[in-house]
Amino acid sequence: MIEKLKGYKGEGKKILEENKIEIWDIIHIKTSKTNFEGIVLPRSEYSAPNFINLKLENNYNIGINVSDIQEIKKIGKREAVYKIPEKKFPRNENLPNVILLGTGGTVASRLDYTTGAVIPTFTPGELFSAVPELAEICNLECEMVFKILSENMKYEYWQKLAEKVEAAANSGIEGIMIGHGTDTMSFTSAALSFMLKDLSIPVVLVGSQRSSDRPSSDAALNLINAAVVAGSDIAEVVVSMLGSSSHDYGLIHRGTLVRKMHSSVRDTFRTIDNIPLGMVRNRNIKMFTQDYRRRKKSKTIALTTYEKKVALIYSYPDIDNEVIDFYIDKGYRGIVFAGTGLGHLPTTLYNSIERAIQEGMTILMTTQTLSGFVGMHVYSTGRELLNIGVIPGRNLLPEVAYVKLGWVLGQTSNPEEIKTLLLQNIAGEFIEREIPIAFNYNIDKLLKNNKL
Amino acid sequence: MEEFDYEKLGLKCGLEIHQQLNTSTKLFCRCPAELQGTREPDFTISRNMRPVLGELGVYDEAMLTEYGKGMGIVYEGYNDVVCTYELDDTPPFSCNIEARRVALQIALLLNANIIEEMHVCRKNYLDGSVPCGFQRTMILGTDGYISLENGKKIGIDILSLEEEAARKIKTENKINYFRLDRLGIPLVEVTTKPDINTPDECRESAERIGLLLWSTRVKKVIGSIRQDINVSIVDGTRIEIKGVQKLGWIPLLINHEISRQLKLIEIKGELEKRKLDEKNVNENFIDLSETLAKTKSNFISKGIKSGKKLYGINFSGFKGIFGKELMENYRFGTEVSSKVNVISGLKGIIHSDEDLNKYKFSKDDIEKIKESLASKEDDCFVLVLGSNKEVKKAMKVIINRIKFAFKGVPPETRKALESGNTEFLRELHGGARLYPDTDTEAIFNFKEEIQEIHKNLPELPWLIIKKYSKKYDTEERLIKDLIFTGKLQLFDDLIKLYPDNPSLIFTTLLETTTALRREGKNMENISDNDFLEIFTLLKKREISKEAIEELLSLKADSPELSIDQIKKKSKIESITLDDLKKLTVKIVDNNSKMIKEKKMRAKGPLMGIVMKEVRGKIDGAIVSKELDYAIKEKLKELK
Repeated sequence: MIEKLKGYKGEGKKILEENKIEIWDIIHIKTSKTNFEGIVLPRSEYSAPNFINLKLENNYNIGINVSDIQEIKKIGKREAVYKIPEKKFPRNENLPNVILLGTGGTVASRLDYTTGAVIPTFTPGELFSAVPELAEICNLECEMVFKILSENMKYEYWQKLAEKVEAAANSGIEGIMIGHGTDTMSFTSAALSFMLKDLSIPVVLVGSQRSSDRPSSDAALNLINAAVVAGSDIAEVVVSMLGSSSHDYGLIHRGTLVRKMHSSVRDTFRTIDNIPLGMVRNRNIKMFTQDYRRRKKSKTIALTTYEKKVALIYSYPDIDNEVIDFYIDKGYRGIVFAGTGLGHLPTTLYNSIERAIQEGMTILMTTQTLSGFVGMHVYSTGRELLNIGVIPGRNLLPEVAYVKLGWVLGQTSNPEEIKTLLLQNIAGEFIEREIPIAFNYNIDKLLKNNKL
Repeated sequence: MEEFDYEKLGLKCGLEIHQQLNTSTKLFCRCPAELQGTREPDFTISRNMRPVLGELGVYDEAMLTEYGKGMGIVYEGYNDVVCTYELDDTPPFSCNIEARRVALQIALLLNANIIEEMHVCRKNYLDGSVPCGFQRTMILGTDGYISLENGKKIGIDILSLEEEAARKIKTENKINYFRLDRLGIPLVEVTTKPDINTPDECRESAERIGLLLWSTRVKKVIGSIRQDINVSIVDGTRIEIKGVQKLGWIPLLINHEISRQLKLIEIKGELEKRKLDEKNVNENFIDLSETLAKTKSNFISKGIKSGKKLYGINFSGFKGIFGKELMENYRFGTEVSSKVNVISGLKGIIHSDEDLNKYKFSKDDIEKIKESLASKEDDCFVLVLGSNKEVKKAMKVIINRIKFAFKGVPPETRKALESGNTEFLRELHGGARLYPDTDTEAIFNFKEEIQEIHKNLPELPWLIIKKYSKKYDTEERLIKDLIFTGKLQLFDDLIKLYPDNPSLIFTTLLETTTALRREGKNMENISDNDFLEIFTLLKKREISKEAIEELLSLKADSPELSIDQIKKKSKIESITLDDLKKLTVKIVDNNSKMIKEKKMRAKGPLMGIVMKEVRGKIDGAIVSKELDYAIKEKLKELK
């Protein structure tokens, strides 16, 4: 329920209150030049104060300056109910049982009258009636675990999701989809990858780049593709999103090698340092590699303890020691650096880094080039950093390294064990060899030339 | 053409006029606002769309119908004029200020009330014409008017500023192809109130709004202005007619629509008279594929053999209804058939009110059909042939249309045809497809800005027409043509340069260019500056007016050359009066025998000989005068 004068301030609020007018009332306004009739709409809290939002009879919306109003009166009321009818999902014994865990995000969002932007509100059940094709792919249960925008994700939510997956996987559910905002989807996919030991079923993160309140949304196709992957034999945490701007095929990305690479396009997700695991098109999966974990009858274990006091620092020329000192003084237990090039930091930082390590912090190095390995034996800076005790993060993406360090520090406080776990390939986050097309593969072209 | 008593019919018409603005970039991104014609696209992408709820939580019927068609979409684009915004892959940028100012000027010319705080709305379209599935549109002005010649005021309901849709290129294998160069070009939509009461008033209103738009900074090319008409009569309903390409079509279209609505109202009356009831309309269609497997009708038997289905349905008491003519060569059967075509994709229907011999059914076939459908003498049966899915969709359309016959005229958007008839295009879009745009902030038209634009408003075009027509002593039609070809400014510039002969300028700008275009010359190759250069040469007497057409023609063929280069290359030059005198004397001397015989009558043939030498180089009137003189001198000499 929206409050009576949502978003109204100043003169706008005053004139509405004086005339006992609320949101959704139909009103008549007379100005010096003309007359208006329409429904009073809620207003964004961040917009100009002395206007009234009106939906005219022709359904267009306009703002009327209060100072132009000569007469205003209520003539009726109409409240909008923006709700897709929820339908009960049909069951088919031959289809896999899949759970969709909702977290919010664009795959499930709609208009927010407070800010005028979009917020998550659809229940997964509504999504259903909007995408009936899902019933041809799986038997679906839905659970809204939390409703947040993905930039507000916390490690406690990762833990909660991991526990949900553990419970579901061990109770006979055959696949899991997680509806997730795309902004931090790859953080969550990495976190779940590390937390879920001996995962027995597919866990597929899915979202959309265009919200589902527009006809061109990629939400439906992404959900359909994700449902197919959830029923497949890939027992890994993966991200499944469109592979090109066309509504054609989805790609399947390993949860520890994936990254959002564009602020807005549909095919924003890319596997870094390798090609994706495979693709899904017209409800068929085509794997590009056989190097993936298969579905099996193991007991899934959620190892969720996590150390929050970890920072991710992006290096830049002339970066100040104080930045590092801050984290030491605040009792942080680890820092991941996105260093330049092969994994470098300015030599002026050595002092602070030495101090950090002396105080028991773990320092992990990655590269801000995102693609490629760190190579800390090539230049003297690298060697010096290794000598101080910085751990080279091989090909780890900075965000994946950040999540991994938090998880490792949650698992143990023994310095040797920390180092061992950090350098151990837990969930496919390390590649053994970088294939030459890994850096600038074009899936469309590879498909066209039959190279996949 | 049939004329009606429009007052008695309660005719109400409204206009919706769309006009592209002439800005350098698009409305919400900074791509050049330039159409690419037939140029091959650089890339294609494929998409599909799904229906969404409107802001008030309701689905738009027309949107559901569109989705039901199951069409795929392919977009074709160019890297230099299309960006990720048009692909719906990047949020909108700020609203084009240039476009907003032109729209404000138009709003003021229409005496409209300006909306101070504009909210961008999404008008949902599922036909694929906009990649995001909606057109971004905002109301900029309301409640204005234009005046007609007789002083009657036609109200302007709204003026909105919006984005142009993509260009539809073709439909192939259930895929619509769209070109994205046109998408996002700023567009204004002028919607009148239903104040128009006769077809002629409607034509005049459309013309006046058109003239008014073309006196501002709008794109002045074919296709940059489009008009739709809304027509309703008492007991009928509002019908939107889209794609009216010429002003001249308007009266005919309205009269045909009146006829259609009257006949549909008659059908409603007839059904009541026959005591038929909407509730009893048969909804059971029957598969006749097996019954008619051995039909004599080649077309049917071939279809059934290839796996298609023949379905039939009987409508009790409907005899004669399908055969009733609604407009010229357009029966109720045509009405049903064209709706079936648009929604199901099937070519058409067969009904028992038409001549069934043309399908080559045998008597036995007809008996079998009637028996299977239990069709009696007073009934009408309908058959459709197609895939199972298509046929079921078609039957649903037919049943719904028959049910609506009891109500009269179904509200629809119809497409204008050159014959004056119309055909079903889609269900009438309702308000349910509007939704606030969540990607943009409110846009303000500040009072100071409006006052500034108000100070510099151009004169009303119909006043300009009167003034020019008087000043240059010419028909009003010519001035109108100048405005509608976008050449009024050029005319003003040329008349300043060459004030001696306004009618030469009219002829050049209107007749000569039209004639050359008809010959297939590409007149796009000729710029305003080329005209100015030609008239400068004329003023300096370096060419004669006879050379204008040739210069324009050559320029159209060789756009890379300047007018001066063309003149030199094709040796177009004027002949001096002295040289002309010498030439006429010489020719007269050579033909003294003829002159002796024919006297002044020799002038005719001699004129031909002289003109052959000097055509395009000097005015014929001067030649005639000189020849006259030379012959007279010769005759004196011969005496």
